[in-house]
Amino acid sequence: MKETVITVRRKKIEIWTLVVCFVIANLVNVYAIQKFDTPWNELFWSLGYVVTTTVVIYCIWSVIRLVVYGIIGLFRKKRR
Amino acid sequence: MEKDLSRRDFLKNAGLIGLGAGTLLSSVPWMSALAQENTSKTVGEKVRIGIIGPGSRGRFLMNFIKKNSKAEIVALCDIYQPSIDEALKIAPKAKVYDDYRKLLEDKNIDAVFITTPLYLHYPMAMDALDAGKDLYLEKSMAYNVAQCFDLYQKYKSTGRIFFVGQQRLFDPRYLKAMEMIHEGRFGEIQAVRTFWFRNGSWRNKVSDPSLERLRNWRLYKEYSRGLLTELGGHLLQVGTWAMQKLPEQVMGAGGITFWKDGREVWDNVSCIFSMDDGRRITYESVISNKFYGLEEQIMGNLGTVEPEKGMYYYESGTKDGSPAKPAPGFMQMMTDVQNRIFEKLPFAGTSWEPEVAKDVKGNYIMGEDYKITTDGTQEAINAFIESVITQKQPERIAEECYYASAMVLLGYDAVEQGKILTFPHEYRLNYLNHKHQAKQTL
Repeated sequence: MKETVITVRRKKIEIWTLVVCFVIANLVNVYAIQKFDTPWNELFWSLGYVVTTTVVIYCIWSVIRLVVYGIIGLFRKKRR
Repeated sequence: MEKDLSRRDFLKNAGLIGLGAGTLLSSVPWMSALAQENTSKTVGEKVRIGIIGPGSRGRFLMNFIKKNSKAEIVALCDIYQPSIDEALKIAPKAKVYDDYRKLLEDKNIDAVFITTPLYLHYPMAMDALDAGKDLYLEKSMAYNVAQCFDLYQKYKSTGRIFFVGQQRLFDPRYLKAMEMIHEGRFGEIQAVRTFWFRNGSWRNKVSDPSLERLRNWRLYKEYSRGLLTELGGHLLQVGTWAMQKLPEQVMGAGGITFWKDGREVWDNVSCIFSMDDGRRITYESVISNKFYGLEEQIMGNLGTVEPEKGMYYYESGTKDGSPAKPAPGFMQMMTDVQNRIFEKLPFAGTSWEPEVAKDVKGNYIMGEDYKITTDGTQEAINAFIESVITQKQPERIAEECYYASAMVLLGYDAVEQGKILTFPHEYRLNYLNHKHQAKQTL
């Protein structure tokens, strides 16, 4: 099995991606609280849903990236 | 001792211990006959009872009479010897008659139970009251509304004790349910949906064809009004009891759709009884499918009661009927998204969604640990016996029983004639929202 190295840059990108996902999930929660007129303390009490949504968005984003990088990689191989 | 304990439990459950003329007794005055302050005064008394028609139902009641130490079965009357033989096993010392008029002449008898086929109720009950006997008559009261009214008038004029076998009036589950309903815990009752479904022919096996009509009297119009009088009366009485209102009109439909075996009464029938304000009680019976069983669904704007199951449910879905706490906004939004994706019907692009019944666990009317040990029959018989001893007819019981029978019989006429029938003013009692008007004054 080949040794793999996760670079500092990659780590930073992934952490920032996760932070962005978390912010998006919170914004969705803010929108839901406004739309359904529920208490603002749900910003805290609904953190479980927010974290779950963060992971879901992150996973979806990861799948999209894998597909895009995969296609790009295929084109590069063909050019060579 | 066990008998005393269960009776005490019943009274406790029904709220009769220590209540005197309390809350419960004011709404169900017929229970006063069982109030401790009254029953303690009749200890040592003995009512001598004659049974007219000790068939299966008659013997069922005899077993309850035997459990009451204040009663003794002293006479039996039937023309069907096997019924007499069976009944004598329960009351071996009883004198046997083959003519009910002879039994009624017996001065040794205080009260009679009439448990004969429906068409015999009226002549036998009239004769019994004329003979000065107190009367427990199996439901339904009579064969048509006019006979019921006559019988009610006879009861009033003779002043005898008069009960009809509407045992739900004494069933603790129903008493408790009605107390909750009348307190307004389920809001205003908007509709009562009642049904009794079975899957069976309702036919007795007959060895000798000449006995067919005698043994299977329920299946022939000459003797019976079928499912309406045999089952419907119990359920409709619960409906008017819950609503505290009597219907103005009835319509219905019925037919023989499955058991096409020579019977004359419908095996599939449905009636709608409507109030003057548009609220309704419905009754339905089918005897070729028993999936939904038997129930009275009493529907208020705040909740639903199903006394037969012993359950009640609040519209809010909460245990105490308080407004349901809304789901977090996030969850509401997710549900909204989910509904848009998965539940929209693929055709026509409509926003209509199937509103299937809520799967709510509900609450127990009598509490989770309550075990059903009575359907009210024992208590109804006990109340009758107490009333015979004290010679005090409990309030409202005759009227409740009258309307239970009159409604189903009017329903029968509506189905038979294929018309919407108004409850005849000349057959109304001055009871609840009904006012009697003699025919000539109309």
